[in-house]
Amino acid sequence: METNLAAEHLQTIRTLMERSALYRRALAPVMMVSGSIGLVAAIASRVVALETNRAFSLFWLGVSLAALAAAFFLVRRQAIKDAEPFWSLPTKRVTQALLPAFFVGFAAGVFHAFREPMTGAWLLALGWIIIYGCALHAAGSYMRNRIKLFGWIFVLGGCGLLFASAEWPALKTTAAAHQLMGLFFGVLHLVCGVYLYFTEKRRTAE
Amino acid sequence: MNPEPFLQLDRVIHEKGRLAIMSLLAASPQLSFTEMRDTLSMTDGNITAHIRTLHEAGYIAVTKAFQGGRQITSYALTADGRKAFTGYINLLEQIVQQTKQK
Repeated sequence: METNLAAEHLQTIRTLMERSALYRRALAPVMMVSGSIGLVAAIASRVVALETNRAFSLFWLGVSLAALAAAFFLVRRQAIKDAEPFWSLPTKRVTQALLPAFFVGFAAGVFHAFREPMTGAWLLALGWIIIYGCALHAAGSYMRNRIKLFGWIFVLGGCGLLFASAEWPALKTTAAAHQLMGLFFGVLHLVCGVYLYFTEKRRTAE
Repeated sequence: MNPEPFLQLDRVIHEKGRLAIMSLLAASPQLSFTEMRDTLSMTDGNITAHIRTLHEAGYIAVTKAFQGGRQITSYALTADGRKAFTGYINLLEQIVQQTKQK
């Protein structure tokens, strides 16, 4: 009896210690806002007709910075509203997991913008999609909500399109690159945001 | 089976609610009241009572700070609290180990 109780207590301790390290901020608003920014940016890119590699890189780097700023603002507002510290341990862990991939994506964008690369914008777009998927997968270790699976969708989608481009030359245009960015960073984030809106709400109610 | 380890278990920590609070704090440098309440799904009154007991035992430290014009109360394990928690886990492991040996 005592042994069962002791083993049960140890299991409870383990579960709670793991739960304590998980990121708890609601991600639905972050996904929806960043998805909306991505979608509006993709539509704007068609209206303004950003054709050069440099314009593509700088435009989407600017969009990603805007999305990051919006995410920061939303997460900070949630922390203040809940009377919780913003820079908590789980937030630190998620940031540390995202940082290397985000840095690589930023560096690739800057290189593409200022070094007149041989490759087109479509390859940078696919690279960004795959790298972002890796970032989500890494951060997913400290989150609930199937963020790892969302990361895999980016990784597999990006790799699949990379192979498809060999057979599908229409993908290798700047216009297609803008559309891919809109699809992955706009539409998919919005879909994920809606999914999280309902699942996070349900979890809170449980 | 030697009942001694079971009798040595720290009664302050052994209560289910307080054990849960100690476990959360053992995995995090500090946690706010709402973080603990939401993670453990406990009522405000319940969690306040447990925190008071743990604070009086010297196991947790309370910090108050301001962020965005609102007061945030955070809790962290003290050195004594961490030592007591480690001792508690060691005793539990000892109890489990004793049965395995038989």
